[in-house]
Amino acid sequence: MHSQDKSSALGQGVVIFIYLAVLTVMEYFIAILLDAISILIVVAVVKAALVLYYYMHIYKLNEEDADHDPHSYVFKTATNRLGLWLFLLSDGFLFAGLLVVRSNLLGLHRPDLNQLLGLVVTSVLLISSFFMNRGETLMSKGDVKGFMRNTVITFIMGLGFLLGVVFVEWRTAAAEGLTPSFGSVATGPVGGVFYLMTGMHAFHVLTGLIFLYIVWNNARKGVYTAEKHFPIEAAAVYWHFVDLVWIFFYPALYLIGKP
Amino acid sequence: MKSFWRGLVTFLIGAVVGYALGVILEGTVTGSMKFNAPVASALAFLFGFTALAYLGGKHSTIFRGLFWQVIGTFAGALLVTLIRALSGKDVFGPFFFTEPAWVLGGLVGALAFLFGSGIMDDWIKWMRGIDTPEHHEERYSGFEKYINVSLDHKVIGVQYTVLALILLCVGGLFAMIFRTELAESGLQFLKENVNVFGQNGPQLYNTLMSLHGMVMIVSILLGLAGMMNYLIPLMLGAQDMAFPRLNAFSFWIAVPAGVLLLSSLFLGGFDTGWTGYPPLSTRAPLGIQMFFLGVFVAGWSSILGSLNILVTVVRLRAKGMTAMKMPIFIWSSVAASIISLTATQMIGLAFQLVIFQRLLGMGFFDPAQSGNPVLFQHLFWFYSHPVVYVFVLPGLGVISELLPVFARKPLFGYRWVAMSSLGIALVGFLVWAHHMFAAGMNEYLRVPFMYSTLLVAVPTGVKFFSWVATIWQGKLVTPTAMLFVLGAIVVFLLGGLTGPPNATVSTDLHLHDTYYIVGHFHDTIFGGFVFPFFAALYYWFPKATGRRMNETLGKIHFWLMTPSFLVLTVGMMYIGMLGMRRRIVDYDPALGLDATHLVLTICGYLIAISIAVFLYNFIHSIKHGEKAEGNVWNSRSPEWQVPSPMPTHNYDQPFEVVGEPYDYGLEGSKYVQFTKSASDAAGKH
Repeated sequence: MHSQDKSSALGQGVVIFIYLAVLTVMEYFIAILLDAISILIVVAVVKAALVLYYYMHIYKLNEEDADHDPHSYVFKTATNRLGLWLFLLSDGFLFAGLLVVRSNLLGLHRPDLNQLLGLVVTSVLLISSFFMNRGETLMSKGDVKGFMRNTVITFIMGLGFLLGVVFVEWRTAAAEGLTPSFGSVATGPVGGVFYLMTGMHAFHVLTGLIFLYIVWNNARKGVYTAEKHFPIEAAAVYWHFVDLVWIFFYPALYLIGKP
Repeated sequence: MKSFWRGLVTFLIGAVVGYALGVILEGTVTGSMKFNAPVASALAFLFGFTALAYLGGKHSTIFRGLFWQVIGTFAGALLVTLIRALSGKDVFGPFFFTEPAWVLGGLVGALAFLFGSGIMDDWIKWMRGIDTPEHHEERYSGFEKYINVSLDHKVIGVQYTVLALILLCVGGLFAMIFRTELAESGLQFLKENVNVFGQNGPQLYNTLMSLHGMVMIVSILLGLAGMMNYLIPLMLGAQDMAFPRLNAFSFWIAVPAGVLLLSSLFLGGFDTGWTGYPPLSTRAPLGIQMFFLGVFVAGWSSILGSLNILVTVVRLRAKGMTAMKMPIFIWSSVAASIISLTATQMIGLAFQLVIFQRLLGMGFFDPAQSGNPVLFQHLFWFYSHPVVYVFVLPGLGVISELLPVFARKPLFGYRWVAMSSLGIALVGFLVWAHHMFAAGMNEYLRVPFMYSTLLVAVPTGVKFFSWVATIWQGKLVTPTAMLFVLGAIVVFLLGGLTGPPNATVSTDLHLHDTYYIVGHFHDTIFGGFVFPFFAALYYWFPKATGRRMNETLGKIHFWLMTPSFLVLTVGMMYIGMLGMRRRIVDYDPALGLDATHLVLTICGYLIAISIAVFLYNFIHSIKHGEKAEGNVWNSRSPEWQVPSPMPTHNYDQPFEVVGEPYDYGLEGSKYVQFTKSASDAAGKH
């Protein structure tokens, strides 16, 4: 029973990942072939819903308390979880604000960026979320080694995303003349918006990486068990949140509008 | 006394060293020795302060933190300066360091405060996989408890309140300075030839006027957090907040935020008003950056504090306390917390964008780069309008909380009052652009925002009807706390009634940017926050100290403050309608407003005197007030059912909610009932 549970949870992760991958590729081709912003928004919302439910397990907020003693680990975990989600809600307003800035300043204009590079970094982040989910699932079954292995993969991919954005994407963009203070009445503050959005997101990726390192290191020391590992859940949910943000930022920066 | 002299000597030695260093540095850079140089005075202040903080830091978190903040600021600024030197850019600016150096320094300083003072010690241990006990033993007692880190929500509540009162005095002092200047047309003492902190008189006026706004706003946010922190766990029957460490963090981060905010006064000031609109703020002196940073860091305090309150209310209610049996104060705090949890991000973003625009030339708000200054106003007001509901909601909660106690009658329409707080909060998110009727936004947006704004009157009206119906045929007793509640109702009514003319587009276009707005705003905030805050202080003072404040002095405070305040704000609205523009240092004598302005200034002084009376009463009563350890107000609320002051972990016995919270005067009704002792209930220990 136990192992069946584990494999079905892992299998679900794979299925969701396939959905997300297909939707991302769809998004890419919709943007190239059609000029349909509404479809792009719908696809992004569907992807976000999948991540929220299957990777971030938002339904856990609604679970009944198994233990009403306020000093028990179970009760405290539910409290911590609510705090974590409220924090993400607050942070979500920051990113929503950035999207407002983007749509107000650029409208149907978008930065002229390397499409392939965009798809690659997006895929890297998406795949890292898959491994994160895998790691957390293994941990909840008590497999510390499996968790550590998958976290290392997540970490490497996250680092790849971060370096890809900051050292490849930014450099490419700058080489093509997109600088932070670039702007005139004709072109608009495209550069400012691009560096602002990617920079703010990259900052969150960086904090996510630090968070991943901390839980990986503590798992190595044997701090967590199958029952008691809320910090791992928090790190995973935060990591998926960073992915969730990118699910909206990717179309906003690369797909919607014309360069 | 001995430690006072030691502190003074340390400060003076530091100041002399700093001054000498400043003169030498400035001499080397500019080639001429000047003895009234701003750099030298700033360094003198800093060094004296640092020396004092180092001395005090051995004994208290607050001084240790401030010491590290100064060190961190210099470290951050030096790092940027070094990088600039290596890349061949300007190394020195008008305030010694360049602007980027000050900005990074300010940020590093705030972080250094947090790391250096030891507030995050437990978190750092957790990161390294080391467990710590849920609660630490209180290491300090008496006064020392309040200048050190404590995880007890009651201590944190008092810390917040005291910091709020300090900032209230600072902001009030600023107001007195520029109110004095305004007593007569023409420039009296803030003249062109004055030079204070590198600013001439009118520039200093602008800085003080702008800082008055934001210092008061931060003070209000801290005062609210003080009330909510102290009261919510007590009312819920919880041992503490849901996250005690986050709670302490939220308070302590407000200290470096306050320092950053006030440091703008010494770094050139700024002349934008509290709103910091671009393009003014993109051209203002360096002080504006410190202002932005200070507000940004204070925002963390606000966000994390409200997060903690929401989680505490959802998770830690006593048995039987269903949503419709919570005290109204909790309902209104929840409504306020929802706003500050989410909307605060927008002002943070708006201010960050201006910081970036100034540092990196990103043209978000620069029309020459096709940026949009109106975008700033949207982001700014998306927070700054709802936040006025954050200011007033807990205060309105206090009114609903205290009225039944002193009218000895049930609160009228509990459900409606509870829901009206949420109603105000939610409608509050939809009204922000009424601040922008004159800003050049799309004209078709004006009408929907006008109607949504007028809609706020509906839930607010519900509250008023409830208060009036609660007072109706009640057996009113009027100790000072009740006087302030009644004063709050009158003043808030005046603020509320003067609102619709600003919400209505046709009248607002005339009233925009006049003293009418200033008068209206002060009425709403005094009615919604200041009066209820004082009521709460008089009312819960015995709970915190076991003593009560002097009633005679309290009544002097009330009867001095209320009439002068009403004359002040009504006078402001009057001159506003006659054409007095807000935020200006001087006005045309031909307007014929000199006499009214003089009256307003006198009223301002009377309010200041009343606050001085209050402060004396407050400080004196802590040690020498009349003993009051029982249920002094004959309240039904759980915190008054146990002796004052509260023990560290609140209730020895848990309670269960068995009735309605406000059934005053109904025989045999009970709100809470204490059950078995805590150790029995938990079944262990």
